[in-house]
Amino acid sequence: MANKVFNLRINREICQGTGYCVRISPELFELEDSTQAKVLVAEPPAEFEEEILEASTLCPTRAITY
Amino acid sequence: METIRDLIPPPHIQGIKHFIDYALVDEILRSKDFRQGSHQESQPFFGDSLLTIDHDVHFERRRLQAPLFRKEALEYYEHEELLPLIDKALEECKGNRDETGTVRTDLCALVRTMLARISAVTTGIDGVDTPERTDAFRTYIEQLGTGATVEWSTEDHSEVISRILKIREGFVQEFYGPSVERRKKLIEQFRNGDLGEDELPRDLLTLMYLHWNEEWDEELPLREATLYLVASSQTTTHAVPHLMIHLHEWFQEHPEDYEKRFDRDFLKQAGHEDIRLHLPSPALLRIALKDVTLSNGTEIKKDERVACLFTPANRDKTVFGDNARSFNPYRETPNVKPWGFAFGGGEHTCIGRTLVTGLSARTDNDEGTDGTLVNIAAALYKAGIEIDPLDLPSYTELSHHDAYGRFPILLTNL
Repeated sequence: MANKVFNLRINREICQGTGYCVRISPELFELEDSTQAKVLVAEPPAEFEEEILEASTLCPTRAITY
Repeated sequence: METIRDLIPPPHIQGIKHFIDYALVDEILRSKDFRQGSHQESQPFFGDSLLTIDHDVHFERRRLQAPLFRKEALEYYEHEELLPLIDKALEECKGNRDETGTVRTDLCALVRTMLARISAVTTGIDGVDTPERTDAFRTYIEQLGTGATVEWSTEDHSEVISRILKIREGFVQEFYGPSVERRKKLIEQFRNGDLGEDELPRDLLTLMYLHWNEEWDEELPLREATLYLVASSQTTTHAVPHLMIHLHEWFQEHPEDYEKRFDRDFLKQAGHEDIRLHLPSPALLRIALKDVTLSNGTEIKKDERVACLFTPANRDKTVFGDNARSFNPYRETPNVKPWGFAFGGGEHTCIGRTLVTGLSARTDNDEGTDGTLVNIAAALYKAGIEIDPLDLPSYTELSHHDAYGRFPILLTNL
Protein backbone atom coordinates (compact mmCIF):
# COMPACT_ATOMS: atom_id res chain seq x y z
CA MET A 1 0.00 0.00 0.00
CA ALA A 2 2.89 2.38 0.80
CA ASN A 3 3.92 2.55 -2.86
CA LYS A 4 0.39 2.75 -4.19
CA VAL A 5 -0.09 5.53 -6.69
CA PHE A 6 -3.50 6.53 -7.96
CA ASN A 7 -4.51 7.39 -11.49
CA LEU A 8 -6.93 10.19 -10.68
CA ARG A 9 -9.40 11.22 -13.40
CA ILE A 10 -12.61 13.20 -13.74
CA ASN A 11 -15.09 12.26 -16.43
CA ARG A 12 -15.73 15.72 -17.81
CA GLU A 13 -18.87 14.65 -19.63
CA ILE A 14 -20.69 13.95 -16.40
CA CYS A 15 -18.98 16.34 -13.96
CA GLN A 16 -21.52 18.97 -12.91
CA GLY A 17 -19.17 21.27 -11.07
CA THR A 18 -20.73 21.00 -7.63
CA GLY A 19 -17.23 21.47 -6.22
CA TYR A 20 -17.66 18.76 -3.59
CA CYS A 21 -14.30 17.23 -4.55
CA VAL A 22 -12.61 20.60 -4.04
CA ARG A 23 -14.12 20.89 -0.57
CA ILE A 24 -12.77 17.42 0.29
CA SER A 25 -9.31 17.95 -1.15
CA PRO A 26 -8.25 21.32 -2.55
CA GLU A 27 -4.78 19.82 -3.02
CA LEU A 28 -6.08 17.37 -5.59
CA PHE A 29 -9.00 19.16 -7.26
CA GLU A 30 -9.86 22.62 -8.51
CA LEU A 31 -12.97 24.20 -9.99
CA GLU A 32 -12.15 25.33 -13.50
CA ASP A 33 -15.39 27.27 -13.79
CA SER A 34 -18.89 26.90 -12.38
CA THR A 35 -19.54 23.76 -14.44
CA GLN A 36 -16.33 21.74 -14.32
CA ALA A 37 -13.76 20.47 -11.85
CA LYS A 38 -10.28 19.38 -12.82
CA VAL A 39 -7.58 17.19 -11.33
CA LEU A 40 -4.51 18.99 -10.04
CA VAL A 41 -2.40 15.93 -9.26
CA ALA A 42 -2.90 13.11 -11.75
CA GLU A 43 -0.96 10.50 -9.79
CA PRO A 44 -1.31 11.33 -6.11
CA PRO A 45 0.55 9.13 -3.63
CA ALA A 46 -1.00 6.68 -1.16
CA GLU A 47 -1.31 9.24 1.64
CA PHE A 48 -4.23 10.77 -0.27
CA GLU A 49 -6.18 7.52 -0.39
CA GLU A 50 -8.90 8.49 2.09
CA GLU A 51 -9.51 11.85 0.43
CA ILE A 52 -9.68 10.23 -3.01
CA LEU A 53 -12.17 7.61 -1.85
CA GLU A 54 -14.32 10.21 -0.12
CA ALA A 55 -14.28 12.61 -3.07
CA SER A 56 -15.13 9.78 -5.46
CA THR A 57 -18.06 8.64 -3.31
CA LEU A 58 -19.35 12.10 -2.50
CA CYS A 59 -19.32 13.35 -6.09
CA PRO A 60 -23.07 13.47 -6.95
CA THR A 61 -22.44 12.13 -10.47
CA ARG A 62 -19.63 9.72 -9.46
CA ALA A 63 -17.43 11.36 -12.09
CA ILE A 64 -14.15 10.62 -10.27
CA THR A 65 -12.21 7.41 -10.89
CA TYR A 66 -8.83 6.47 -9.51
CA MET B 1 -51.98 -0.34 -24.59
CA GLU B 2 -50.04 2.91 -24.71
CA THR B 3 -46.68 2.29 -23.02
CA ILE B 4 -45.12 5.75 -23.39
CA ARG B 5 -47.29 8.59 -22.12
CA ASP B 6 -46.77 12.34 -21.98
CA LEU B 7 -46.54 14.14 -18.64
CA ILE B 8 -49.68 16.07 -17.81
CA PRO B 9 -48.60 18.58 -15.17
CA PRO B 10 -50.49 17.86 -11.94
CA PRO B 11 -52.24 20.69 -10.07
CA HIS B 12 -49.31 21.48 -7.75
CA ILE B 13 -47.10 22.58 -10.64
CA GLN B 14 -49.69 24.40 -12.70
CA GLY B 15 -49.50 28.18 -12.91
CA ILE B 16 -45.73 28.45 -12.57
CA LYS B 17 -42.98 28.61 -15.22
CA HIS B 18 -42.21 25.23 -16.76
CA PHE B 19 -38.88 24.24 -18.29
CA ILE B 20 -38.86 21.32 -20.70
CA ASP B 21 -35.62 21.78 -22.69
CA TYR B 22 -32.80 19.55 -21.51
CA ALA B 23 -30.20 22.33 -21.57
CA LEU B 24 -32.29 24.78 -19.50
CA VAL B 25 -33.28 22.14 -16.94
CA ASP B 26 -29.63 21.21 -16.64
CA GLU B 27 -28.69 24.87 -16.19
CA ILE B 28 -31.21 25.34 -13.37
CA LEU B 29 -30.24 22.15 -11.57
CA ARG B 30 -26.55 23.03 -11.66
CA SER B 31 -27.09 26.63 -10.60
CA LYS B 32 -26.31 27.64 -7.04
CA ASP B 33 -28.83 30.47 -7.40
CA PHE B 34 -31.75 28.11 -6.69
CA ARG B 35 -32.85 25.99 -3.78
CA GLN B 36 -35.08 22.95 -3.54
CA GLY B 37 -38.75 23.82 -4.05
CA SER B 38 -40.36 20.39 -4.14
CA HIS B 39 -42.03 18.47 -1.31
CA GLN B 40 -43.83 21.40 0.33
CA GLU B 41 -46.96 19.44 1.27
CA SER B 42 -44.99 16.32 2.15
CA GLN B 43 -42.87 18.09 4.77
CA PRO B 44 -44.22 15.85 7.57
CA PHE B 45 -42.59 12.92 5.78
CA PHE B 46 -39.52 14.38 4.07
CA GLY B 47 -38.98 17.76 5.80
CA ASP B 48 -35.31 18.69 6.35
CA SER B 49 -34.19 15.38 4.88
CA LEU B 50 -31.30 15.28 2.41
CA LEU B 51 -33.79 15.74 -0.40
CA THR B 52 -35.03 19.10 0.81
CA ILE B 53 -31.93 20.86 2.16
CA ASP B 54 -29.44 22.81 0.12
CA HIS B 55 -25.89 24.04 -0.25
CA ASP B 56 -23.60 23.81 2.84
CA VAL B 57 -26.11 21.89 4.96
CA HIS B 58 -26.76 19.51 2.09
CA PHE B 59 -23.03 18.95 1.59
CA GLU B 60 -22.46 18.13 5.27
CA ARG B 61 -25.43 15.74 5.46
CA ARG B 62 -24.39 14.05 2.24
CA ARG B 63 -20.85 13.71 3.53
CA LEU B 64 -22.15 12.03 6.67
CA GLN B 65 -24.11 9.51 4.61
CA ALA B 66 -21.56 8.92 1.85
CA PRO B 67 -19.89 5.89 3.52
CA LEU B 68 -23.10 3.95 2.85
CA PHE B 69 -22.43 4.30 -0.88
CA ARG B 70 -18.73 3.53 -1.05
CA LYS B 71 -17.69 1.02 -3.66
CA GLU B 72 -17.14 -1.69 -1.04
CA ALA B 73 -20.56 -1.03 0.50
CA LEU B 74 -22.28 -1.24 -2.89
CA GLU B 75 -20.48 -4.51 -3.65
CA TYR B 76 -21.57 -5.85 -0.27
CA TYR B 77 -25.23 -4.85 -0.77
CA GLU B 78 -25.30 -6.40 -4.23
CA HIS B 79 -23.59 -9.70 -3.51
CA GLU B 80 -24.49 -10.36 0.12
CA GLU B 81 -27.96 -8.85 0.32
CA LEU B 82 -29.63 -8.18 -3.03
CA LEU B 83 -28.82 -11.35 -4.96
CA PRO B 84 -29.81 -13.74 -2.12
CA LEU B 85 -32.97 -11.69 -1.52
CA ILE B 86 -33.99 -11.86 -5.17
CA ASP B 87 -33.51 -15.65 -5.04
CA LYS B 88 -35.43 -15.85 -1.76
CA ALA B 89 -38.38 -13.88 -3.12
CA LEU B 90 -38.58 -16.10 -6.19
CA GLU B 91 -38.17 -19.22 -4.06
CA GLU B 92 -41.16 -18.14 -1.97
CA CYS B 93 -43.20 -17.83 -5.19
CA LYS B 94 -42.76 -21.55 -5.82
CA GLY B 95 -45.40 -22.28 -3.22
CA ASN B 96 -47.98 -20.75 -5.58
CA ARG B 97 -47.25 -22.94 -8.62
CA ASP B 98 -50.34 -24.24 -10.40
CA GLU B 99 -50.74 -27.71 -11.92
CA THR B 100 -48.62 -26.66 -14.94
CA GLY B 101 -45.84 -25.35 -12.72
CA THR B 102 -46.63 -21.73 -13.54
CA VAL B 103 -46.74 -19.01 -10.89
CA ARG B 104 -49.15 -16.08 -11.28
CA THR B 105 -48.17 -13.04 -9.28
CA ASP B 106 -48.03 -9.24 -9.36
CA LEU B 107 -44.72 -7.79 -10.52
CA CYS B 108 -45.04 -4.55 -8.51
CA ALA B 109 -45.49 -6.46 -5.25
CA LEU B 110 -42.78 -8.97 -6.12
CA VAL B 111 -40.18 -6.28 -6.82
CA ARG B 112 -41.10 -4.45 -3.61
CA THR B 113 -40.58 -7.67 -1.68
CA MET B 114 -37.18 -8.18 -3.32
CA LEU B 115 -36.12 -4.67 -2.35
CA ALA B 116 -37.64 -4.51 1.11
CA ARG B 117 -34.73 -6.01 2.98
CA ILE B 118 -32.01 -4.10 1.14
CA SER B 119 -33.94 -0.91 2.00
CA ALA B 120 -34.02 -2.08 5.60
CA VAL B 121 -30.30 -2.87 5.63
CA THR B 122 -29.16 0.49 4.26
CA THR B 123 -31.59 2.41 6.47
CA GLY B 124 -31.09 0.41 9.66
CA ILE B 125 -34.46 -1.26 10.21
CA ASP B 126 -34.32 -4.60 12.01
CA GLY B 127 -36.69 -7.53 11.90
CA VAL B 128 -37.47 -7.64 8.20
CA ASP B 129 -36.86 -11.37 8.10
CA THR B 130 -39.89 -13.67 7.78
CA PRO B 131 -42.25 -13.47 4.77
CA GLU B 132 -44.96 -12.05 7.07
CA ARG B 133 -42.68 -9.35 8.50
CA THR B 134 -41.33 -8.52 5.04
CA ASP B 135 -44.87 -8.19 3.76
CA ALA B 136 -45.82 -5.88 6.64
CA PHE B 137 -42.67 -3.80 6.13
CA ARG B 138 -43.25 -3.60 2.37
CA THR B 139 -46.78 -2.35 2.96
CA TYR B 140 -45.49 0.34 5.32
CA ILE B 141 -42.99 1.52 2.69
CA GLU B 142 -45.74 1.71 0.08
CA GLN B 143 -47.91 3.78 2.43
CA LEU B 144 -45.04 6.05 3.46
CA GLY B 145 -44.31 6.52 -0.24
CA THR B 146 -47.88 7.69 -0.78
CA GLY B 147 -47.45 10.29 1.97
CA ALA B 148 -44.02 11.37 0.81
CA THR B 149 -45.29 12.06 -2.72
CA VAL B 150 -48.68 13.43 -1.68
CA GLU B 151 -48.25 16.34 -4.12
CA TRP B 152 -48.82 13.81 -6.92
CA SER B 153 -51.80 12.07 -5.33
CA THR B 154 -55.18 12.12 -7.07
CA GLU B 155 -56.88 11.75 -3.67
CA ASP B 156 -57.65 14.55 -1.20
CA HIS B 157 -54.18 15.62 -0.03
CA SER B 158 -55.01 16.54 3.56
CA GLU B 159 -56.83 13.23 3.98
CA VAL B 160 -53.82 11.36 2.61
CA ILE B 161 -51.44 13.16 4.99
CA SER B 162 -53.54 12.41 8.10
CA ARG B 163 -54.11 8.80 7.04
CA ILE B 164 -50.42 8.13 6.39
CA LEU B 165 -49.27 9.89 9.56
CA LYS B 166 -51.50 7.51 11.48
CA ILE B 167 -50.05 4.54 9.59
CA ARG B 168 -46.56 5.85 10.32
CA GLU B 169 -47.26 5.50 14.03
CA GLY B 170 -47.68 1.77 13.45
CA PHE B 171 -44.43 1.65 11.51
CA VAL B 172 -42.62 3.42 14.35
CA GLN B 173 -44.04 1.06 16.93
CA GLU B 174 -43.44 -2.10 14.97
CA PHE B 175 -40.15 -1.48 13.13
CA TYR B 176 -38.54 1.93 13.51
CA GLY B 177 -38.68 2.42 17.28
CA PRO B 178 -37.09 -0.90 18.26
CA SER B 179 -34.41 -0.44 15.58
CA VAL B 180 -33.49 2.99 16.90
CA GLU B 181 -33.39 1.78 20.49
CA ARG B 182 -31.03 -1.06 19.58
CA ARG B 183 -28.71 1.34 17.77
CA LYS B 184 -28.70 3.82 20.64
CA LYS B 185 -27.65 1.03 23.00
CA LEU B 186 -24.89 -0.14 20.65
CA ILE B 187 -23.60 3.41 20.29
CA GLU B 188 -23.60 3.76 24.08
CA GLN B 189 -21.56 0.54 24.34
CA PHE B 190 -19.16 1.90 21.73
CA ARG B 191 -18.79 5.18 23.64
CA ASN B 192 -18.13 3.24 26.86
CA GLY B 193 -15.38 1.30 25.11
CA ASP B 194 -17.31 -2.00 25.23
CA LEU B 195 -17.71 -2.20 21.46
CA GLY B 196 -15.43 -1.40 18.55
CA GLU B 197 -16.57 1.06 15.89
CA ASP B 198 -16.36 -1.67 13.26
CA GLU B 199 -18.87 -3.69 15.31
CA LEU B 200 -21.53 -1.01 14.88
CA PRO B 201 -24.11 -1.51 12.12
CA ARG B 202 -23.28 0.36 8.93
CA ASP B 203 -26.54 2.07 8.15
CA LEU B 204 -28.23 5.46 8.04
CA LEU B 205 -29.73 5.45 11.53
CA THR B 206 -26.48 4.41 13.18
CA LEU B 207 -24.60 7.15 11.34
CA MET B 208 -27.14 9.78 12.37
CA TYR B 209 -27.22 8.85 16.06
CA LEU B 210 -23.45 8.35 16.17
CA HIS B 211 -22.86 11.82 14.71
CA TRP B 212 -25.86 13.57 16.24
CA ASN B 213 -26.16 17.27 15.39
CA GLU B 214 -27.78 19.43 18.07
CA GLU B 215 -29.53 21.45 15.36
CA TRP B 216 -31.55 18.39 14.34
CA ASP B 217 -35.02 17.80 15.76
CA GLU B 218 -35.81 14.44 17.37
CA GLU B 219 -37.94 13.31 14.45
CA LEU B 220 -35.41 14.07 11.72
CA PRO B 221 -33.95 10.52 11.64
CA LEU B 222 -37.46 9.21 11.03
CA ARG B 223 -37.96 11.54 8.07
CA GLU B 224 -34.50 10.76 6.72
CA ALA B 225 -35.22 7.06 7.14
CA THR B 226 -38.50 7.55 5.29
CA LEU B 227 -36.61 9.12 2.41
CA TYR B 228 -34.21 6.18 2.28
CA LEU B 229 -36.93 3.56 2.51
CA VAL B 230 -39.15 5.15 -0.10
CA ALA B 231 -36.43 6.20 -2.53
CA SER B 232 -34.47 2.96 -2.36
CA SER B 233 -37.43 0.88 -3.40
CA GLN B 234 -39.50 3.33 -5.43
CA THR B 235 -37.17 3.85 -8.38
CA THR B 236 -36.68 0.17 -9.12
CA THR B 237 -40.29 -0.77 -8.38
CA HIS B 238 -41.36 1.99 -10.73
CA ALA B 239 -38.87 1.01 -13.44
CA VAL B 240 -39.04 -2.79 -13.62
CA PRO B 241 -42.64 -3.07 -14.92
CA HIS B 242 -41.96 -0.47 -17.63
CA LEU B 243 -38.76 -2.33 -18.55
CA MET B 244 -40.57 -5.65 -18.85
CA ILE B 245 -43.19 -4.15 -21.17
CA HIS B 246 -40.64 -2.37 -23.34
CA LEU B 247 -38.46 -5.44 -23.68
CA HIS B 248 -41.54 -7.57 -24.43
CA GLU B 249 -42.35 -5.23 -27.31
CA TRP B 250 -38.72 -4.96 -28.37
CA PHE B 251 -38.28 -8.74 -28.56
CA GLN B 252 -41.48 -9.03 -30.62
CA GLU B 253 -40.12 -6.49 -33.10
CA HIS B 254 -36.50 -7.72 -32.89
CA PRO B 255 -36.69 -11.50 -32.28
CA GLU B 256 -32.97 -11.77 -32.99
CA ASP B 257 -32.37 -9.95 -29.67
CA TYR B 258 -34.43 -12.33 -27.54
CA GLU B 259 -31.34 -14.31 -26.52
CA LYS B 260 -29.95 -11.11 -25.02
CA ARG B 261 -32.47 -11.24 -22.17
CA PHE B 262 -29.68 -12.73 -20.05
CA ASP B 263 -26.99 -10.36 -21.32
CA ARG B 264 -26.21 -7.97 -18.48
CA ASP B 265 -24.74 -5.27 -20.70
CA PHE B 266 -27.86 -5.31 -22.88
CA LEU B 267 -30.11 -5.23 -19.80
CA LYS B 268 -28.10 -2.36 -18.36
CA GLN B 269 -28.53 -0.27 -21.53
CA ALA B 270 -32.22 -1.20 -21.67
CA GLY B 271 -32.63 -0.24 -18.00
CA HIS B 272 -31.02 3.16 -18.55
CA GLU B 273 -33.29 3.78 -21.53
CA ASP B 274 -36.28 2.68 -19.48
CA ILE B 275 -35.68 5.13 -16.64
CA ARG B 276 -34.93 7.89 -19.12
CA LEU B 277 -38.47 7.46 -20.45
CA HIS B 278 -40.25 6.72 -17.17
CA LEU B 279 -38.95 8.86 -14.35
CA PRO B 280 -39.88 8.03 -10.79
CA SER B 281 -39.78 11.80 -10.10
CA PRO B 282 -41.11 13.36 -13.31
CA ALA B 283 -40.67 16.97 -12.19
CA LEU B 284 -38.74 18.93 -9.63
CA LEU B 285 -39.35 22.44 -8.37
CA ARG B 286 -36.72 25.06 -7.65
CA ILE B 287 -36.97 28.42 -5.89
CA ALA B 288 -34.73 31.28 -7.04
CA LEU B 289 -32.50 32.73 -4.32
CA LYS B 290 -32.12 35.99 -6.28
CA ASP B 291 -33.17 37.48 -9.62
CA VAL B 292 -31.78 35.12 -12.26
CA THR B 293 -31.49 35.46 -16.03
CA LEU B 294 -31.02 32.12 -17.77
CA SER B 295 -28.80 31.67 -20.83
CA ASN B 296 -31.84 31.90 -23.17
CA GLY B 297 -32.85 35.23 -21.62
CA THR B 298 -35.67 33.92 -19.40
CA GLU B 299 -35.94 36.03 -16.26
CA ILE B 300 -36.81 34.45 -12.92
CA LYS B 301 -37.54 36.66 -9.95
CA LYS B 302 -36.16 36.13 -6.47
CA ASP B 303 -38.36 33.64 -4.52
CA GLU B 304 -40.13 32.54 -7.72
CA ARG B 305 -40.85 28.80 -7.94
CA VAL B 306 -40.19 27.13 -11.26
CA ALA B 307 -40.82 23.59 -12.43
CA CYS B 308 -38.23 21.49 -14.23
CA LEU B 309 -40.25 18.91 -16.16
CA PHE B 310 -37.93 15.95 -16.46
CA THR B 311 -40.19 13.78 -18.61
CA PRO B 312 -40.20 16.09 -21.66
CA ALA B 313 -36.58 17.12 -21.01
CA ASN B 314 -35.59 13.46 -21.11
CA ARG B 315 -37.30 13.17 -24.50
CA ASP B 316 -35.60 16.27 -25.94
CA LYS B 317 -34.81 15.45 -29.60
CA THR B 318 -31.80 17.75 -29.67
CA VAL B 319 -30.13 15.58 -27.04
CA PHE B 320 -31.54 12.07 -27.51
CA GLY B 321 -32.26 12.09 -31.26
CA ASP B 322 -35.37 12.25 -33.45
CA ASN B 323 -36.76 9.05 -31.94
CA ALA B 324 -36.26 10.31 -28.37
CA ARG B 325 -39.84 9.44 -27.41
CA SER B 326 -39.35 5.75 -28.20
CA PHE B 327 -37.54 2.92 -26.43
CA ASN B 328 -34.22 1.93 -27.98
CA PRO B 329 -31.78 -0.09 -25.87
CA TYR B 330 -29.03 0.71 -28.37
CA ARG B 331 -29.40 4.47 -28.02
CA GLU B 332 -26.10 6.30 -27.77
CA THR B 333 -25.91 9.43 -25.64
CA PRO B 334 -22.28 10.51 -25.89
CA ASN B 335 -22.56 13.81 -24.03
CA VAL B 336 -25.10 13.11 -21.30
CA LYS B 337 -25.92 10.40 -18.83
CA PRO B 338 -28.07 7.75 -20.55
CA TRP B 339 -30.80 8.13 -17.90
CA GLY B 340 -30.90 11.92 -18.28
CA PHE B 341 -32.57 13.48 -15.22
CA ALA B 342 -33.99 10.24 -13.80
CA PHE B 343 -31.95 10.89 -10.65
CA GLY B 344 -32.20 14.68 -10.72
CA GLY B 345 -29.08 16.75 -11.24
CA GLY B 346 -26.60 19.09 -9.61
CA GLU B 347 -26.01 18.72 -5.89
CA HIS B 348 -29.41 17.06 -5.49
CA THR B 349 -28.52 14.13 -7.72
CA CYS B 350 -29.92 11.10 -5.92
CA ILE B 351 -27.33 9.74 -3.47
CA GLY B 352 -28.60 6.20 -4.01
CA ARG B 353 -28.43 6.23 -7.80
CA THR B 354 -25.65 3.62 -7.87
CA LEU B 355 -27.87 1.14 -6.02
CA VAL B 356 -30.22 1.20 -9.02
CA THR B 357 -27.90 1.61 -12.00
CA GLY B 358 -24.81 -0.01 -10.52
CA LEU B 359 -21.44 1.66 -10.14
CA SER B 360 -19.12 1.68 -13.13
CA ALA B 361 -15.53 0.60 -12.44
CA ARG B 362 -13.68 3.03 -10.18
CA THR B 363 -10.22 1.72 -11.03
CA ASP B 364 -8.68 -0.21 -13.89
CA ASN B 365 -8.85 -3.34 -11.75
CA ASP B 366 -12.46 -3.58 -10.63
CA GLU B 367 -15.64 -4.43 -12.44
CA GLY B 368 -18.18 -2.25 -10.66
CA THR B 369 -21.69 -3.42 -9.81
CA ASP B 370 -24.80 -4.04 -11.92
CA GLY B 371 -27.43 -2.51 -9.62
CA THR B 372 -30.95 -3.56 -8.72
CA LEU B 373 -32.52 -3.03 -12.13
CA VAL B 374 -30.22 -5.40 -14.05
CA ASN B 375 -30.10 -8.02 -11.32
CA ILE B 376 -33.87 -8.16 -10.94
CA ALA B 377 -34.49 -8.16 -14.70
CA ALA B 378 -31.98 -10.99 -15.21
CA ALA B 379 -33.55 -13.04 -12.41
CA LEU B 380 -37.05 -12.50 -13.83
CA TYR B 381 -35.98 -13.72 -17.27
CA LYS B 382 -34.32 -16.73 -15.68
CA ALA B 383 -37.62 -17.42 -13.88
CA GLY B 384 -39.42 -17.33 -17.25
CA ILE B 385 -41.34 -14.07 -16.85
CA GLU B 386 -44.23 -13.48 -19.24
CA ILE B 387 -46.84 -10.74 -19.16
CA ASP B 388 -50.17 -12.40 -18.35
CA PRO B 389 -52.06 -12.31 -21.68
CA LEU B 390 -55.42 -12.72 -19.92
CA ASP B 391 -54.93 -10.01 -17.31
CA LEU B 392 -53.09 -7.02 -18.76
CA PRO B 393 -51.29 -4.46 -16.59
CA SER B 394 -52.91 -1.16 -15.73
CA TYR B 395 -51.65 2.23 -14.58
CA THR B 396 -52.27 3.44 -11.06
CA GLU B 397 -55.26 5.73 -10.61
CA LEU B 398 -54.10 6.96 -7.21
CA SER B 399 -51.31 9.17 -8.50
CA HIS B 400 -50.31 11.36 -11.44
CA HIS B 401 -47.07 9.38 -11.59
CA ASP B 402 -46.31 7.33 -14.70
CA ALA B 403 -46.57 4.12 -12.68
CA TYR B 404 -48.28 0.78 -12.93
CA GLY B 405 -50.74 -0.10 -10.18
CA ARG B 406 -51.22 -3.72 -11.27
CA PHE B 407 -48.85 -5.82 -13.33
CA PRO B 408 -49.91 -9.47 -13.43
CA ILE B 409 -47.16 -11.81 -14.64
CA LEU B 410 -46.51 -15.49 -15.16
CA LEU B 411 -43.30 -17.14 -14.02
CA THR B 412 -42.99 -20.28 -16.11
CA ASN B 413 -39.54 -21.51 -15.20
CA LEU B 414 -39.41 -21.59 -11.42
